[in-house]
Amino acid sequence: MRAVKKLAAFLLSLLVLSAAVFWFARLAPGDPLVSYYGERAERMSPADRAQAEAALGLDQPIRVQYVRWLKNALRGRLGISYKYKQDVLTVIRGRVGNTLLLGGVSYLLIFTLALPLGAACARMEGRLPDKVLCKLGTLSACIPAFWLSLLLILIFSVTLRWLPSSGAWSPGAAGGGAADRLRHLALPMTVVVAGHLWYYAYMVRNMLCDELGADYVLLERAAGLSRTRTLLRHCLRNVLPTYLSLMAVETPHILGGAYVVETVFSYPGLGTLSYESALYHDYDLLMALCLLSGAAVMACSMLAQAASQRIDPRMRTGRGEVTGRG
Amino acid sequence: METLLQIEHLSVCFDAPAGTVEAVRDVTLDLAAGEILALVGESGCGKSALCRAVAGLLPANGRMEAAKLTVAGADLRGLRERDMRRLRGKVVSMVLQDPMTSLEPTLPVGAQIAEAARVHAPRLGRDGARRRALERMALVGLDRPEERYGLYPYELSGGQRQRAALAVALAGEPKLLLADEPTTALDVTVQAQILDLLRDVRRRLDAGVVLVTHDLGAAARAADRVAVMYAGRIVETGTAEEVFYDPRHPYTRALLACLPTPEKKGRRLYAIPGMPPTLMPPPRGDAFACRNEYALAIDYELQPPMFPVGGAHLAATWLLDPRAPRVTFSPPEEEPAGPARPPAGGPALLEVRHLSHAFPLPGGGSLRALEDVSFQIREGEIFGLVGESGSGKSTLAQCVMNILRPRTGSVVYKGVDVWDRSLSRAQRRMLRTDRQMVFQDSAASLDPRMTAADIVAEPMAVNRVRPPRGTLRAEAAFQLKHVGMDPSYLDKYPAQLSGGQRQRVAIARALAMEPSLLVADEPVAALDASIRAQIVNLFRHLQAEHGFTFLFIAHDLSLVRYLCDRVGVLYRGRLVELAPTEELYGCPMHPYTQALLDAAPLPDPRRERQRSPRRFDGADAGRDGPFTEAAPGHFVLGGKEADL
Repeated sequence: MRAVKKLAAFLLSLLVLSAAVFWFARLAPGDPLVSYYGERAERMSPADRAQAEAALGLDQPIRVQYVRWLKNALRGRLGISYKYKQDVLTVIRGRVGNTLLLGGVSYLLIFTLALPLGAACARMEGRLPDKVLCKLGTLSACIPAFWLSLLLILIFSVTLRWLPSSGAWSPGAAGGGAADRLRHLALPMTVVVAGHLWYYAYMVRNMLCDELGADYVLLERAAGLSRTRTLLRHCLRNVLPTYLSLMAVETPHILGGAYVVETVFSYPGLGTLSYESALYHDYDLLMALCLLSGAAVMACSMLAQAASQRIDPRMRTGRGEVTGRG
Repeated sequence: METLLQIEHLSVCFDAPAGTVEAVRDVTLDLAAGEILALVGESGCGKSALCRAVAGLLPANGRMEAAKLTVAGADLRGLRERDMRRLRGKVVSMVLQDPMTSLEPTLPVGAQIAEAARVHAPRLGRDGARRRALERMALVGLDRPEERYGLYPYELSGGQRQRAALAVALAGEPKLLLADEPTTALDVTVQAQILDLLRDVRRRLDAGVVLVTHDLGAAARAADRVAVMYAGRIVETGTAEEVFYDPRHPYTRALLACLPTPEKKGRRLYAIPGMPPTLMPPPRGDAFACRNEYALAIDYELQPPMFPVGGAHLAATWLLDPRAPRVTFSPPEEEPAGPARPPAGGPALLEVRHLSHAFPLPGGGSLRALEDVSFQIREGEIFGLVGESGSGKSTLAQCVMNILRPRTGSVVYKGVDVWDRSLSRAQRRMLRTDRQMVFQDSAASLDPRMTAADIVAEPMAVNRVRPPRGTLRAEAAFQLKHVGMDPSYLDKYPAQLSGGQRQRVAIARALAMEPSLLVADEPVAALDASIRAQIVNLFRHLQAEHGFTFLFIAHDLSLVRYLCDRVGVLYRGRLVELAPTEELYGCPMHPYTQALLDAAPLPDPRRERQRSPRRFDGADAGRDGPFTEAAPGHFVLGGKEADL
């Protein structure tokens, strides 16, 4: 019953999202014909333009267009990309792996590193290592991603010539070996991780510091538990639900960061693709990308909720404390 | 008995941004095994800091110095955290005030107790620790421990949680238990049980207990010896009988004198003038001197030593010096009485008819907060409403004050149904200005970014009432003066005021509109005893002067008895008994009222130790019985007269 409810909410959200993107994209200024016909679009006569628009179905009211798109989408036909003249799914399929690799690996790194980093800082709260890490972290979070990207390219690609500056693999070696992929991944991944890591580590640190002030910590320590044990076994447990839901909610944030980094490094992923499709009014492609991102975000938050419920029993029953003064 | 805890010249300071706070100053005390010492004092007197210092759990900005600090022969001074940790739980352990927050919320209670047991005996293993935890749960009176082992803290009641917390603290069989206000957050009926449990536990484990409390009644019930603290120092110490029956320090006398008792009804309550001093830096001489009407000149200059009174009874006041003049403490009640109250008993001002309310629970189902509550309050009357937490007192106040719409029933004020949707604009305005409210937590009920002047004048501003004294500021100054605050407070923010002063501002705000009905929801529960008496006097004085009708909601039974004309008792959302005050306290009819009155602690050690309160398990609450008049004006639910 609960699963059915969740699924319904999921589908409804997707529907709303699709309508919103559909309308906003078409209301934005620009010429979608350019992306289909290229330079030719600018030399077209008004009659030719009208004909071309009719051929793409762009002459009808947005409402009608949306209903038609929705009908097709429900049958699994998401349309073709104006620019690539290919089915959008084919276009996306070619790029999605790259983004998943970059985003996924960075994401994992961020969330596995933030937890111990934050816990270490909380354990040493107010002492020198904590202070130094806090300063360094704030600095790293403040450096803009594009600037750091350029700096890293300058150092590691131009000066030292250790790592490639762009692409996902070396030219000619399509697909490439794992080592080659990794070498291409190193710089963009560093930028994504550096930009986000401290944000989460600091949040974990602060949540843990708050938690360390809780009464139960005092009681446990009075009963003889060590500070470290209390921190790792009890405080962390209480902080994890918040952290997990945060982690899920922030998925688009990190993906968005990856999108920017992708463009700087000309990394052939969904980020560059979304950027292009929005820029060139490649409507069908844009729709597919938005729905894909949206579905991913919602799926993540549902997973996070399920995980939180496993950790904190109070969320499972859905009833919190029923106490009140007087 | 061997000496378990020895403290000599112990001081604690905290580094704050504004300077160093000397929270505990030169404390010397000892405790024998199997003894309970109550550390009594108001908030900020250093009693908690002393506990923390003994347990080695001072916060990072705290420092401790002591000439001697030993527990069971082990010197606790200057230990490294790692060595201190070995002693905690095994030698010294602690329980805290709030059972709602002192257990880890995401682990079953049994597992928490087992973990604490295992820290000290790693060889126990999983099963051994579990067995130990079950034993401990049985020890603290959690019956059916096998079933309760896997329950989470949120599935237990407040009293059970405090028992579980006690089990965690006792898991390593400590020799010394520091109990920091263990009963303050609990209802009176549960309070008595926990105090009895402490006495029982120390007997069985032969442990020493330091019971920190501000409640003289709790100290009288549980303690063998009492130490009274004021401004970081121990001012008087002795056996419970000595301190309660023969107090020598003026502060102890004053504390006992400002408790409301039935004999003082109708008279002004003795209130200690002024406020406790700040300890940054601490005052010279006797810190209590400036609030002490018998203070000698030397009290302002030199800290008095502990003078022996007899046996182990010591008190730090120069009045005990052989050279001091003899003073006879006049009974403090002989203060000028306030204006005489006009007799209450006019027509009904407020009528509550069959009020019911339920809160939906997130998991489905609902929590019945009020069930079919009916009563009337007559004009000029002080009506007391008592009940434990969760009995629906606050819900009732909110229904009366148009804050919460009740599910069914009605509230009629001056002939107007306050929840009627078709009220005229003038009627709504009357309802808004004519009824005012004062809340428990003055820190939360005053906007922290408004000055006292703005707060007091706000009701006038929002209701667009022309201030009778010219400007809003002049009006605010007048109202503040009325509650005993001079105009220098006009531009202060709530954070710059003490708890008592904030409550005065809240009262001034409520009275600015000259209401006919004042609803006060636990208005003095958060205040210290010495300040509480001041505010209670203020309420009495203002009520007599303004003649407003007063709905006074509280859990403190002796206070309600002292202040109110008629009293209603709420139990789980039902009004179980309603009678004139003396009638209710003299011959309570409902078993719940009887249990409640029995459990109320009094500062009388002999009486406290003898009586064992009747328990009330809720089975015979008379839920379905009618609300009948058993004696003239005395209503009781279920109409039982068997106990008469």
